[in-house]
Amino acid sequence: MSGTHVLNVDGQLAARPSGPGHLHLLLNRGSEVFAVSRGGPEVVERRVATEDEDEALNEAARLTVDRLRAHGLPAELVSQRLNRRKIDLIPEPEWADPPKARMAELLTAVEARLRRSGFASLTDVAAVTLAAAREAGLSDPRITSDVKHVEIGLTDKSDSARWIMRHLLLDGIAPHDVLIAGDEFGRVGGQQGSDSLLLVPQVAGATAASVGVEPGGVPEGVIALGGGPRRFAALLDDQVRRRRRGELPLRNADPEWIVTVEGFDRTLERAHETLLTLADGRIGTGGAPLVGNSATSPRVLAAGVYDDEGAESHLLACPNWARLGEEADPAGPLLRTLDLRTGLLFEEAGSRLRSVRFSSLARPGTVALRIEENDGPRLERSPLLLPPPRRQVRTGESAGRRWMSVAGKHGGVVAAAAERVRGAKPRRTERFAAYESDPANRPDPARAVAGLRAAEDAGFEQLLREHRRTFGRLWDGADVRIEGDPELQRDVRFALSHLMASVGESGETALGARGVSGAGYRGHVFWDTDVFVLPFLAATRPAGARTLLEYRVRRLSAARAAARALGRSGARFPWESARTGRDATPSHAHLRTGEVIPIRTGELEEHIVADVAWAAACYLDWTGDEEFQRGPGRELLVETARYWASRIRVDGDGRGHIDRVIGPDEYHEAVDDNAFTNVMARWNLRRAAVLAGGEDAERASWLHLADGLIDGYDEQSGIYEQFAGFFRLEPLVIEEVAPRRPVAADLLLGPERVRASQVVKQADVLMLHHLVPDEVAPGSLAPNLAFYEPRTAHGSSLSPGIHASLFARAGMLEQAVDALRLTSRIDLDDLTETTASGLHLAAMGSVWQALAFGFAGLRPQGDALCVDPRLPEAWHSLEVRVRFRGARIIVRIEPGSVVLTSDAPVRVLVGPARAPVTVSSSGSVRVTREEMRWEEVES
Amino acid sequence: MSKVLAAIDNSVAARPVLSAAIAVAELLGVEVEAVHASEDGYRTAVAAAEAAGVPFRVTETPGLLGLIEAAEGSEVTQVVLGARATRDGPRPAGHVALMLARSVRKPLVVVPPDVPLPVRLHRILVPLDGTRATADTLAATVRLACRSKLDVVALHVHEPAALPLFSDQPQHEFEDWAREFLCRYCPHPELVRLETRVGVVGEHVLDVARGVGADMIALGWSQQLDAGRAAVVREVLAGSSTPVLLVPIGAGLEPGRGAQPDVGHERAA
Repeated sequence: MSGTHVLNVDGQLAARPSGPGHLHLLLNRGSEVFAVSRGGPEVVERRVATEDEDEALNEAARLTVDRLRAHGLPAELVSQRLNRRKIDLIPEPEWADPPKARMAELLTAVEARLRRSGFASLTDVAAVTLAAAREAGLSDPRITSDVKHVEIGLTDKSDSARWIMRHLLLDGIAPHDVLIAGDEFGRVGGQQGSDSLLLVPQVAGATAASVGVEPGGVPEGVIALGGGPRRFAALLDDQVRRRRRGELPLRNADPEWIVTVEGFDRTLERAHETLLTLADGRIGTGGAPLVGNSATSPRVLAAGVYDDEGAESHLLACPNWARLGEEADPAGPLLRTLDLRTGLLFEEAGSRLRSVRFSSLARPGTVALRIEENDGPRLERSPLLLPPPRRQVRTGESAGRRWMSVAGKHGGVVAAAAERVRGAKPRRTERFAAYESDPANRPDPARAVAGLRAAEDAGFEQLLREHRRTFGRLWDGADVRIEGDPELQRDVRFALSHLMASVGESGETALGARGVSGAGYRGHVFWDTDVFVLPFLAATRPAGARTLLEYRVRRLSAARAAARALGRSGARFPWESARTGRDATPSHAHLRTGEVIPIRTGELEEHIVADVAWAAACYLDWTGDEEFQRGPGRELLVETARYWASRIRVDGDGRGHIDRVIGPDEYHEAVDDNAFTNVMARWNLRRAAVLAGGEDAERASWLHLADGLIDGYDEQSGIYEQFAGFFRLEPLVIEEVAPRRPVAADLLLGPERVRASQVVKQADVLMLHHLVPDEVAPGSLAPNLAFYEPRTAHGSSLSPGIHASLFARAGMLEQAVDALRLTSRIDLDDLTETTASGLHLAAMGSVWQALAFGFAGLRPQGDALCVDPRLPEAWHSLEVRVRFRGARIIVRIEPGSVVLTSDAPVRVLVGPARAPVTVSSSGSVRVTREEMRWEEVES
Repeated sequence: MSKVLAAIDNSVAARPVLSAAIAVAELLGVEVEAVHASEDGYRTAVAAAEAAGVPFRVTETPGLLGLIEAAEGSEVTQVVLGARATRDGPRPAGHVALMLARSVRKPLVVVPPDVPLPVRLHRILVPLDGTRATADTLAATVRLACRSKLDVVALHVHEPAALPLFSDQPQHEFEDWAREFLCRYCPHPELVRLETRVGVVGEHVLDVARGVGADMIALGWSQQLDAGRAAVVREVLAGSSTPVLLVPIGAGLEPGRGAQPDVGHERAA
């Protein structure tokens, strides 16, 4: 970064890099960015002043020179470079081009002249210049001085610092990975050193060092090295040496971006391993220590690869690549840190062993580990790949690489691994592995070996770089920032990080309730995926959402067969699904009461049919993907609508009923006219009817059926009856009965009592207000929230997040934050005592939904995005990043206003009155709450 | 030489105690010795011991003190004694049994007088309260039982105040939770069956013991019998028709490790 121009800098540097890194020149005091390659510098970005700004700069310079001269200081305008004007304060031949070594002398000379003109210091001159600039019409003038000159600019080095930090973050490089070196941080002549402008908030956490003389000392936090250009070169050489030695990257210490497990807790170890899972959308590796013991549970799982069939189908355990050895009892210190920004897992076993590993988002199926071993007894190494417990494996060698495969009844997984040593003291080792998985067939080992060789050829640094870049770009489009609640901020990022890592971007993702973070729920796919996880992806990473939908699309034929088997039309998606798309719901369950009960969700929890349709519509609403709408999306919506059309019973009065179902409130089984099921079916019919194509008569019949469908709404009270007869049940308010909530009310009161009472497991009627607010009566959220929430046990981990969203919409922000906080801690605090079996991805999805839909009030409406924020008092701001119809939008909510930024033109409807705002390409608009007026503040 | 000490008197409880002691000693692979500390003659006890083929001795010190001294012998792995002299005797247990249980930091088997003879150990019920202390205390018992190919049934009773917050899909939830519960609190999770109940612990321990046909119930306890303490131990001792193994928190069961603490696996975080 330099204040000067490219010819000057490139003339001196003459760098023509050809390696894997990047060299950027940020020049002209923050106005230009060049990328340098073999062919020389090329402009990446240039800030060009408008005509008005140029005139204002000229006027500011003229005013400044006039005023300084009026004081007797013979100042001269000496250059009119890009976006700035430079005024010489000492235009004398002796000081025409002073070397930096004469800086102190120069300062003395300038100050003597200033004093003669009545100025106490350069600060006074800067004040005169700033006043002149403002008078000339510059709203944000940047005044700098190198002692000899004073400059008026539109930009300065702080712009360079912001640009490079944003660029680095996109590459997944956080401030703690950044070294800033300069030679002018300290104050000179009362003016802050120009390099101090680099220390913008975005670089907090970076290491800053000065190699300059710094006569006035350096600001706090900057390391004074001195030594000039030689020391600067030595610093760079040192970095290169570290890279060549294969040193580990620095461990992130930013508490808002890391999850740390310190020590070894035998009781919680397996839950900790789940929290530290690394995943890439295809495979997931638990965060067990590299050196394991009997309390650890190392595991690798592949998405969509099951063993067995039907209800017994479960995720196939895969060969493990992340085990170095075993020890009887854990001894010595242990620290594991998951960097949420980059998906890097750091492990430190005191000074004995340090490592970093990751599962490449850039190359799903490829994993890498770098280990640094110091003095101490040499660990007896396990083989590179370990078979999963109690599982037959096949092993072999191909092209000099070892592979190991496991097979289920249909599909299988093969892994190939290799290791290489990079140094002796400390001993540094790099391990690579590549996985190939196939849900239907045993994959060819040669493919895994080819993947491994490609990883080896790329090398650890390249793999790390591309993985971090992929993660960095995901965060750039999906981060949620909460200022004012750092703990919640970290917990939210924990959820988002795992959601991002759980889904791929091509083909299909069979996302079970626990993803690939654990074998829990046997890897079966529920509405968790369609309704809780998918919205986050639809609004931030459409390609990922599309893979979830593809899972349903490819199982349409199974859903059609299921409908046919019941004598119905269309497609009936199963409550639980695995490889085939046929129902995989177990027939019975053990309760903690010791009872064994039949499970009827597979037979009766049919709202899943509309949930799948809703997911398709959600994706369409956010993306506007016309190809999907014309093709598989339409098919999903139409086939599900056909199912409902054949499922609804029309009575003699022409009213439609759906008999014998289970709603989201699974405490009540085989109920008639469940409001959630009926209204979702109604919405499904209407949504399918408005799609182009199909027979008019069929569409008309859907609309007719939809209009006649009972929904349980009572206009007088404004309350929906959850199902026919719900109001006649024992009016038990669980809020008053339970010692606390959430509580598994069926265990507290017994299934019979719960069935006979108005105790609700999770949002049921209220789920409608969350999913399809346009399908429920206007103004009905408040009365239904007041009625149902106290009756809700929140005995499902899906419940609190949705209620956080609903509370926020209802303006009950304290309850909303409490519910959000609880949801965000479900796995971090192992509140279910089942986190060892995997992360609760649906709850994580509901965390995002509470923030985006609840607090920010985001919702697509046709080709416009609605924003209707509710900001808790304790939060200084909330920033949500989404992608809507191709535009990347940042919604920043501050007390009393919203700032909208977009990289493409987008229409936004703000506030409850839906005040229309158009955000232009690369523009920002601030909308204030009062009167919902808006003013453009930057474009 | 490690041994199991069978504390007998002249009551009808002597035979069940000796039978239980023999069964436990077989499990541990140690000898049995019968001791008598009564001050009013011991011909009945001698006869019972002889009939069981168990060596017999009279403690030097009479009464409870003599039993305590005998039990604290370094070679004694554990102590077996009668809950009460007769079926209608005091509940939860007789004075001597309670005092011995409180005083000796070793595993103690309390045998009801009406236990079916001979005592056989095929299935052991291990109530676990979901704490590290209890799990560690009973870990050696579970290990030994698994090694000896006994059926081990663990029991966890959710008390109403400690019910789980969430129970999402019962068809999966129990499976996942139970697997993890056993991993956390049992040394051989794959060999142990878990039963769970909701309600009052003591009642369920007895019900489940009957239901699964347990030959012994193993309880970890703090050796505190003050009012309000050890409610489960009191209830189980009072109502159990099978021998009850009481393991003081921190005491194990394996031969030679009788008085060794079995905690401290965890290293400091």
